[in-house]
Amino acid sequence: MTEQNQRAFQKQKGVFVSDKRRVLGRWVKGKSRLVKKIGLDFKTPKEAIEGTYIDKKCPFTGNVSIRGRILRGVVISTKMERTIIIRRDYLHYLKKYNRFEKRHRNLPAHCSPCFKHVKPGDIVTIGQTRPLSKTVHFNVIKWEPQQGVDAVKQFRQF
Amino acid sequence: MITFIICNQFITILETNEWSNPLKTYGKKPEERAGHTSVVVGHKMIMGISRAKDKKRKLTGGKRKKWRSKRQARIGRPPANTKLGPKLIRPVRTHGGNTKYRALRLDSGNWSWGSEAISRKTRILDVVYNASNNELVRTKTLVKGAIVIIDATPFKQWYKQFYGENIGDKKMKKKEKENKEKETEEKKEEPNQKQLRQKWKNKNERKKKMKKYIQKKVKRREGHVISKQLIDQFKKGKLFASISSRPGQCGRCDGYILEGAELDFYVHKLKTKKKK
Repeated sequence: MTEQNQRAFQKQKGVFVSDKRRVLGRWVKGKSRLVKKIGLDFKTPKEAIEGTYIDKKCPFTGNVSIRGRILRGVVISTKMERTIIIRRDYLHYLKKYNRFEKRHRNLPAHCSPCFKHVKPGDIVTIGQTRPLSKTVHFNVIKWEPQQGVDAVKQFRQF
Repeated sequence: MITFIICNQFITILETNEWSNPLKTYGKKPEERAGHTSVVVGHKMIMGISRAKDKKRKLTGGKRKKWRSKRQARIGRPPANTKLGPKLIRPVRTHGGNTKYRALRLDSGNWSWGSEAISRKTRILDVVYNASNNELVRTKTLVKGAIVIIDATPFKQWYKQFYGENIGDKKMKKKEKENKEKETEEKKEEPNQKQLRQKWKNKNERKKKMKKYIQKKVKRREGHVISKQLIDQFKKGKLFASISSRPGQCGRCDGYILEGAELDFYVHKLKTKKKK
């Protein structure tokens, strides 16, 4: 199994791997897998239900709940394992000049393996979770792939 | 102090006298309390380990300036590094007056056999694998997630009592087996049951219940399989288990017996380790 590539045995917390008897609950293609709806009308991706990856920080198959803020942004970097950096642009108003100025913030977010092939320029919806690491407090819950390389550099306000 | 010692168990009670009376440690000076290292300057206590994030750098890499002193509520304490050995547990007074039991040495725990849904208290024999750090294996440190070897006897005994046969007995033809065992069990059961059956006056009742008892066990055995790997472990008297409690927090070393894919995984890891 490709998901057992760590030094410790990877398994989902709520699933008894060695259960001989039938597991009552979600049966997916003969394998017992814990999948949940995250609410707020976000659809669980097919890959989360059918996949075999183990990710305790995944919003669909792991032990995190999405609550609080829901934000949208553009993906800048996917170089980290299972986390991405998102850029959020906004306009800041200056009262003296009656004008706006462009500002941005970068946000690290956890990206579950169910979202494969996320690349810089894609638009992503992220939901707030409990702190998953020192800097990561958000989790990718929806992914809209985009075409075109320049999408990263455009100012896009959501 | 009570000085009479009847069996080994009483010694442990004496050792953990402070456990039953946490106020004993609370009244002591910080340096005297086990597992608490701190510098005392004058009347002020400056804590060693802090869990506050104000010393950490920002996401951008910038330094954070210190704007307040360390707080008692944000302290950390030195790790327990629970080792294999005769039980030694120290209570620690924590935030809110609650207690944590810091196990410094443990030798037994409550282990559960998942697929049979039972748990028994057994000795820990050895620490065998740790995913985080090989050093912890060498020093035989008990931590959550460590793979250990436990004594199999209580599980063997339970199995015999529940299923009516020893683990790893070769399988004969069903009918033959059933007949043989019915005979042997009827003979075996009678002397044990005599004590219980003093109440039962009716002979027929006795016979019925006896039959039911055997039939129950036979039924349980039907279609019941244990994996070969587990059988081998039982024959040796040693089972692989994973610790699922936190000995440094609750003072207990409990866990579950490894089975199925998980067992295969760790056995494979140990084999490759040995080869190296």
